[in-house]
Amino acid sequence: MMTKNIRREDMSRAAIVHAILLTYTLVALYPIFLVIINAFKSRKGIFSAPMSLPNAETFSLEGFTKVLARSNFELFFFNSFTVTVVTIVIVLLLASMAAWALSEYKFPGNTWLALYLAVGIMVPIRLGSVSILNLIVELGLINTLTALILVYVAQGLPLAIFILTEFMHQIPKDLKEAARCDGVGEFKIFFAVILPLIRPAVATVAVFTMIPIWNDLWFPLILAPGDGKQTITLGIQQFIGQYVTDWNAVLASLSLAIIPILILYLIFSRQLIRGLTSGAVK
Amino acid sequence: MAHSGPMTDWRKAKLPVFAFLAPATIIYTLFMIYPLIDSIRLSFYTTPSGGEMAFVGFDNYRTILGDPDWSATFWNSFWNNMKFFAVHMLVQNPIGIALAGILSLPQLRFRNTYRTMMIMPTMLSVVIVGFIWQLILSPVWGVGVDILDIFGLKSLFGPWLGKEGSALITLSFISVWQWVGIPLMLIYAALLAIPDDLVDAAIVDGATHFEVFLHIKLPLVLPTVAMVSILTFVGNFNAFDLIYAVKGALAGPNFSTDIMGTLFYRTFFGYQLQLGDPSLGATVASLMFLIILAGVLFYLFAVQRRLARYQL
Amino acid sequence: MADLKLDQIRKSYGAVDVLHGIDLDVKDGEFVVFVGPSGCGKSTLLRIIAGLEDITGGDLMIGGDVVNTKSPRDRGIAMVFQSYALYPHMTVYKNMAFGLKLANHDKSAIDQRVREAARILQLDQLLDRRPSELSGGQRQRVAIGRAIVRQPKVFLFDEPLSNLDAALRVQTRIEIAKLHQELKSTIVYVTHDQVEAMTLADKIVVMNAGNVEQVGSPMQLYHHPQTRFVAGFIGSPAMNFTTVHIDAVEQGKVTVTVPGGAKAVLPFDVPANDVGKDVELGVRPEHLSLGENGDLSISGEVDVVEKLGDSTYLYLKLANGDRFTVRAPGHSRIKISETVNAAAEAGASHLFDANGKAYAKLECPAEYSADE
Repeated sequence: MMTKNIRREDMSRAAIVHAILLTYTLVALYPIFLVIINAFKSRKGIFSAPMSLPNAETFSLEGFTKVLARSNFELFFFNSFTVTVVTIVIVLLLASMAAWALSEYKFPGNTWLALYLAVGIMVPIRLGSVSILNLIVELGLINTLTALILVYVAQGLPLAIFILTEFMHQIPKDLKEAARCDGVGEFKIFFAVILPLIRPAVATVAVFTMIPIWNDLWFPLILAPGDGKQTITLGIQQFIGQYVTDWNAVLASLSLAIIPILILYLIFSRQLIRGLTSGAVK
Repeated sequence: MAHSGPMTDWRKAKLPVFAFLAPATIIYTLFMIYPLIDSIRLSFYTTPSGGEMAFVGFDNYRTILGDPDWSATFWNSFWNNMKFFAVHMLVQNPIGIALAGILSLPQLRFRNTYRTMMIMPTMLSVVIVGFIWQLILSPVWGVGVDILDIFGLKSLFGPWLGKEGSALITLSFISVWQWVGIPLMLIYAALLAIPDDLVDAAIVDGATHFEVFLHIKLPLVLPTVAMVSILTFVGNFNAFDLIYAVKGALAGPNFSTDIMGTLFYRTFFGYQLQLGDPSLGATVASLMFLIILAGVLFYLFAVQRRLARYQL
Repeated sequence: MADLKLDQIRKSYGAVDVLHGIDLDVKDGEFVVFVGPSGCGKSTLLRIIAGLEDITGGDLMIGGDVVNTKSPRDRGIAMVFQSYALYPHMTVYKNMAFGLKLANHDKSAIDQRVREAARILQLDQLLDRRPSELSGGQRQRVAIGRAIVRQPKVFLFDEPLSNLDAALRVQTRIEIAKLHQELKSTIVYVTHDQVEAMTLADKIVVMNAGNVEQVGSPMQLYHHPQTRFVAGFIGSPAMNFTTVHIDAVEQGKVTVTVPGGAKAVLPFDVPANDVGKDVELGVRPEHLSLGENGDLSISGEVDVVEKLGDSTYLYLKLANGDRFTVRAPGHSRIKISETVNAAAEAGASHLFDANGKAYAKLECPAEYSADE
């Protein structure tokens, strides 16, 4: 009774569609899966049965113990965490302030300033690396997390301002006018009325700001390559370069870098897509 | 959507407007715009070791584009970069568009799960991705051979990353594997904005789902496709991490995987016996800037203007 | 052209049933309107006929063929959407030609059909424009044109007028009626507006909560509603309802007590065991008049007075708190908080049982009957 009215072509089409999607999902996930399962195996297990799950015989945490003993993994992690979180907070605050001013106030050069601030969306900040290094050296900030934060804030601002400006245009003007009629000051309107309203866009901006920073290799390599100021990406790169033949350690270190990002991603993927599809980015 | 534009006269709130704009503008100018401009300035100077900076006009450019060694290296990395870009345009973006099209089919189950899973590699660090694939493709481990064996293609396996003829293509495909998520996400979001009624109307008009995609959806998301293309271009001509992680600054074997990013790094910091040279580094960066600028201007004036955005 | 037959059509989304077995016959060339409040399932039913939704159970026949599993393009239907759904990147011409091109008609045949439709709809001058350059009414006509060129067996309209302003809506309504006369095609039309249903339909299907409440001509529904829902839905302003008490039943007559205590004898066939029950009495505002002259008389205090010029609507509060609307002549001088009496002929009344079913009316003066 139920199946009678389902078109046969629909069913075969659904089968093909799911086959394609499953195949690509496998292509996307299997390499990651492979690295993670082998990180939990003994050296013998890694080479004798690379594609099977760890079992009682092959299970081993030796890779992780080696990584934690030989490298300053916790410190690198802490460095990345500090840089990322501080940068996100500064970018969100400064970008929403600027976006608010650009979208709300009529002043001479408004459009030009918006364009000026948008240049950085298309022009990669890396191209200025020679001068950035000079600047950081002059400021005495070489090998500090501060140097990374300053550069990353500059890198994150253009896209954040762009997205937030688009979003702020959509705030109903009645809200602002109601506040003004009540005699609320301009600063207070921003902090008490506007900031809480842009929360949905903030999630999207935070993700877009976070991913490139957390994953960056270039600036840690140039501005803070030593002195225990390495970020996780650079730390892994240096560690693997050093222990390239120790498969347990290499796989374990890669897993340690992958897993936190995957967990964060699974938590925030909804917000990311919602932000994209709600028209915050067009 | 049409904005009404800023509404409030700033003269009523000079101090707040200044206070809102100043911090972002200052940091952005100091750490982004100033370095970009200063880099271009530096490309007209030379810094002999221990000596004073001296203005040399276009000498650095003459060196890089005229000196036989330098120009061979430069054009090698440029054409490698073009190949790298071509693979992304021909493989990454079509796959991303196709997957986005499939994901936007009506009444598809597990849509969100597929999407979340397929975008996952995009979230990982390029360095990590480089290492993952280096391990999988390593003949020492042999897992790549095992996977091909499942499909009976064992004989095709080779040390692709190590061979001069295949290393760049292999790295391009690794990069494609990672970045498919970007066209997928952006085009999927654009497809979602197309009203269901339009699709229904086309179905009633007799279109198959494929024809709906070809005649209705694709033309309506062309502006997004163009935007994805220029993002791909900028990203590719700015790439560095993957090659550096897998092949090091020398971009071996025999510079066959050298692209603009690795050339810039080597010129700036030096390698092996050659000393780093900030001025020549700035020159390479300025040339990269010109290439990217040419691409962006082409997009803005030749592509974007011709593509009408339709009010949906 | 073809007839359309729905046999026990059911639709559920998972565990939620939205259509509970719909039966309907639409004759060749008939103009059928599905009307009902939003969420009643009328649009889902239209999308099922179009083939845009699967059928959970039952059979759908177009021109005698069961089309349950046929795709929309093989059903010989064309649809006009509420949002018009014009392809924004195509010109008016291409919008209309799209379906024909997909069906591989040759160029000259396509051109001829498109121009013919454009002539009928007065779109000749607009063929090279894009939808964004058209007014709402013009877009509407293009949407209809896109349906016409396909020469379908059945036209489907999904609330086509709801995006137009009031004046244009009346004008387009008349055009659609003329179009139907000209094309003599079978039309299924969905709307939530009972005025559109009354003015356009040969046959109205009133739907409520996934069921068909009643099928009939506009005048049948107006004069002989079979349920309280239909009675309240058709007609503007809506029919008045109040609770009355059944005192006695005799041969084709029922005696009831109306709010305020007055008695009335009404011509309904009420079973004897309903005596003593409370039932629902319905009278249309236009069938009430001020004064005591009628078989049925009811009094109430005037709450609100609305003067429309040609007539005046008085809103009465009855003794039991129910509200009654009376249409009085435009020159009426009655003021708020006056107590007035409204009366109607027995034949104009309707009586509904506790389940909302109408009791059969035994005598019905021609004035209150759909029979011609």
